[in-house]
Amino acid sequence: MDAVNALLIPIFDLQLLGLIALGTFAGIYVGAIPGLSVTMAVSILISFTFTWEVYPALALMIGIYMGGVYGGSRTAILLNIPGAPSAIATALDGFPMAQQGKAGEAIGIVTVVSFIGGFIGIFALALFAPSLADFAIRFQPRDYFLLGVLGILLVGSLSGESLVKGIFSGALGIAIGSVGMDPLTFTERFTFEISGLRAGVSFVAVMIGMFGISEGLMQLHTVNTAAVKQTIGRIVPSWAQVRKHLPLGLQTSSIGTVIGALPGTGGDIAALMAYDHAKRVTKNPEVPFGKGAIEGLVAPETANNAAVGGAFIPMLTLGIPGDAVTAIMIGALFIHGLNPGPLLMTSQPDMFWFIVSSLMLANCFMLIFGLTGIRLFVKIVELPRTVLLPVILLLSIVGAYAVNNSLTDVYWMLGFGVFGYFMKLYGYPLGPVILGVILSRLLDDNWRRAIISDQESLWMLLKGTLASPLSLVLFAAVILIFLSKTPLWGLVFRRKTAA
Amino acid sequence: MMMKSVIGAVVALSLSALPALAEYPEKEIQGIIQWGAGGSTDTVARAITPRAEAVLGGKIVMQNVTGGVGAIGLNQVADADADGYTVLFGAENPLLYKVMKLGDKDYSDFIPINIIARGVPILVANVDAPFNTFPEMVAYINANPKAVKFGSTGPGGLPSVVTAMINAKTPLDVTFIPYDGDGPALTALQGGAIHVMPAVLGAAIEGIKGGTMKPIALFDVEASPQLPDVPTIVSTNPEFADVLPWGPFFGVFVKEGTPDDVVAKLTAAYAEGAKHPDFVSLIDGRGFKMLSLSGEEAETFLNGWQSTTSWLIHDAGLTKASPEEFGIPKP
Amino acid sequence: MQTKQPRRPGELVFNLAMVLGSLFLLWSAYGISGFEALSAPGAVPMVTTAAMLVCAVLIFRESLRKGASTDETVARDILPLPILVTIAAVAAYALLLRPLGFLPTSFLFLTGLIYYLGRYSLLRAALLSALIVLIIFLIFRIVFTVLMPPGIVPEAEILAWFRGLFAGRGA
Repeated sequence: MDAVNALLIPIFDLQLLGLIALGTFAGIYVGAIPGLSVTMAVSILISFTFTWEVYPALALMIGIYMGGVYGGSRTAILLNIPGAPSAIATALDGFPMAQQGKAGEAIGIVTVVSFIGGFIGIFALALFAPSLADFAIRFQPRDYFLLGVLGILLVGSLSGESLVKGIFSGALGIAIGSVGMDPLTFTERFTFEISGLRAGVSFVAVMIGMFGISEGLMQLHTVNTAAVKQTIGRIVPSWAQVRKHLPLGLQTSSIGTVIGALPGTGGDIAALMAYDHAKRVTKNPEVPFGKGAIEGLVAPETANNAAVGGAFIPMLTLGIPGDAVTAIMIGALFIHGLNPGPLLMTSQPDMFWFIVSSLMLANCFMLIFGLTGIRLFVKIVELPRTVLLPVILLLSIVGAYAVNNSLTDVYWMLGFGVFGYFMKLYGYPLGPVILGVILSRLLDDNWRRAIISDQESLWMLLKGTLASPLSLVLFAAVILIFLSKTPLWGLVFRRKTAA
Repeated sequence: MMMKSVIGAVVALSLSALPALAEYPEKEIQGIIQWGAGGSTDTVARAITPRAEAVLGGKIVMQNVTGGVGAIGLNQVADADADGYTVLFGAENPLLYKVMKLGDKDYSDFIPINIIARGVPILVANVDAPFNTFPEMVAYINANPKAVKFGSTGPGGLPSVVTAMINAKTPLDVTFIPYDGDGPALTALQGGAIHVMPAVLGAAIEGIKGGTMKPIALFDVEASPQLPDVPTIVSTNPEFADVLPWGPFFGVFVKEGTPDDVVAKLTAAYAEGAKHPDFVSLIDGRGFKMLSLSGEEAETFLNGWQSTTSWLIHDAGLTKASPEEFGIPKP
Repeated sequence: MQTKQPRRPGELVFNLAMVLGSLFLLWSAYGISGFEALSAPGAVPMVTTAAMLVCAVLIFRESLRKGASTDETVARDILPLPILVTIAAVAAYALLLRPLGFLPTSFLFLTGLIYYLGRYSLLRAALLSALIVLIIFLIFRIVFTVLMPPGIVPEAEILAWFRGLFAGRGA
């Protein structure tokens, strides 16, 4: 009964309802603009909502979070610049669709599947939070490492024509991710005695450079051709279309929820893994992946929004943040005199149901705001390139600067932009670089933890892996996916038949 | 057009002609937080600042400038003008930069506005660990060398200092698993990836109350009011008394050379902010000890802390340079 | 074996640079901790840079086999003037941001590029730029309190003056 009451709080309080709507609306823009992140917006809100009651403050933050995760897809589709890391996979098929004049359709689908993904994440939070948290916390360093390996196998999906170039790019990304002072031992890596490199290379600077700047430079080749005329047909996808992709969406939402619930992994990894999953299970996409496949939009966008509900699972049941945003929200709860921890669910069940209900409302507002104004957004792509390109470049610079208030990051962005431009010219895929940067810490840190735990012995590590059901499943998945990708296998096989 | 430029010139002149400090703060103040959003330093800085703003009558725009174990943020404030418009919110780490070769600046290049609070270290263990007290733990470790996994963070962090304290008194043969902060390490502790973790009380308090981790010993000379049943280390092992009380801290700083009246205004504002009942209950609730030190007292605190800690970790072989090189006296 | 696409101008140089770059990074990774332990901070970097080197060598060998392209030139297809100008403009932006400040630098950058690329009239380019810079400034500086370098514009004072104006009216 109490739960029902708490669920109804935000629905019947106009002020709370308004704040959730406002937050979601603002969140979409925060997410869409590269350089503005949800993490940043929520931490600003901590000072801003300081004197408020805890409910309104949380309502606003939850709105921003939900809207922000979705918003990243906007710029990914329209400009090929993911507004946030979790929208990287969305750009892979979203931008080709925009280039074919189907930006409106792409945004419509993304909005609806984001809603579905968000809903499933919240559903899992509401019903299975304690057991999912219990599962998530059991992940050992070894399991995180295997998860990272599983992630890096995605290079195969992101490589395009040349696998060797893809592996090169992925390895380069991992190396870029390890630049700076190693956070575990404070050893300097790839810093070349330059003090500016100690803090490492900002991931967002690499992302904006590789996507924003290099894409901008690439488009300069065709600056004087007319912009792609957008055909604005149906924006809300048909029920038949939604139903067709629903099975995939449900699978990828589950992936998103679990990866979101794991402390230390979030929507970015969830989206990429979901994309890979889609590529594996979709046997005959109508349009090939990378050329505008709908499945390539459905998978990452359901997963990253499902990860939102997932991230709240360990936060609300154990006081352990599921990602950077929930970490800040824990701080906010402390400031408002609450003590998020294992006792929160029993001592303040209202808080749990209030958050569930607010997330649900934010998810609905996201659907409404997402589907309105698409026509206006699509016009952006139709702007003359000679105006659009300078604006994209300016936004990229400002975005790279704003992440850490650092001019060094702007130089990095430019450097990686020019480098990325050459890579594109000579057929190196850029996706694996970003993948490598994202997974670098996950792989490296957990590899070291795992091998130290097993007294530096590979044999003991393998024994441990085979003895734990969870590790065994992950290990088997790594092997199976590696074989199913069959690049090596196929090569060997083909050579044999040729000989 | 003419009129406009005249007005512009007048505005510009009057702005520059105004005695810059007559009405400090006459513009927004930049607050640089050394650590990332959501951490202890960040939470405390963002909680106290609105209270201080009210007293100060100005706006402080907070931003997190992270990286290099906090050195990036510190240097940014050190490079700004000493006019009180750039304020640093920092933790204890800079006092070890010199011996860790992480930078050539520390708080001696700054004026402390307020040393807000101090954390209390606590040793916590996984609930299934086969020991409940410090002596039991030592006995277990001695019987099973290398089998117990301790969580650690980089050299100079709280876990490394507490471990150095323990090793100085009773050397332990354990395996150290490195984490990048006590948050992730405590998560791993609950999942069983590590068995024991020296952490700050604030990060462990809710887990202890909720029974997801168990306290071994509080590294302080008196019990915590939040957890009165947790034994202090000195109650079982009195030899620790000479290095305690010790704890990480956070404070507000401005660059050396900032005018006295600006320092006085900021000091008064933060001292007042620290008294606010809501802030006091936040500090208590997270298991910190309120200090609110400024001026002479703060300087003494900083110097004492630097001397104790530098030598402790130097003797444990964790430093890259001797504290002697920088004239840090032995405690 | 593979498709015999012709080699693009500069491709050989770029691929060679990747080989040398990987070699340098591998050497640097070795310098982190050598072959100290499987858990050493240099272990993963050494594996990744070694993978880079192997791939780079394979790629370079592959590109040696391709025939040189005849109809593409560096000046037209790889680095035409607009791209060089744009790269220079971004670099100039980064250089000028601190001394000049966000507002003037962004305005000059946008006006210059729009004028150069689009052959708009200077006035139209300037007006358009002013509008866009203002919007970006409002979103980043006012709404999200991201501090861009103020440079020669006394931003904080002007904002404080505005706030004073509103506060004064409110009181």
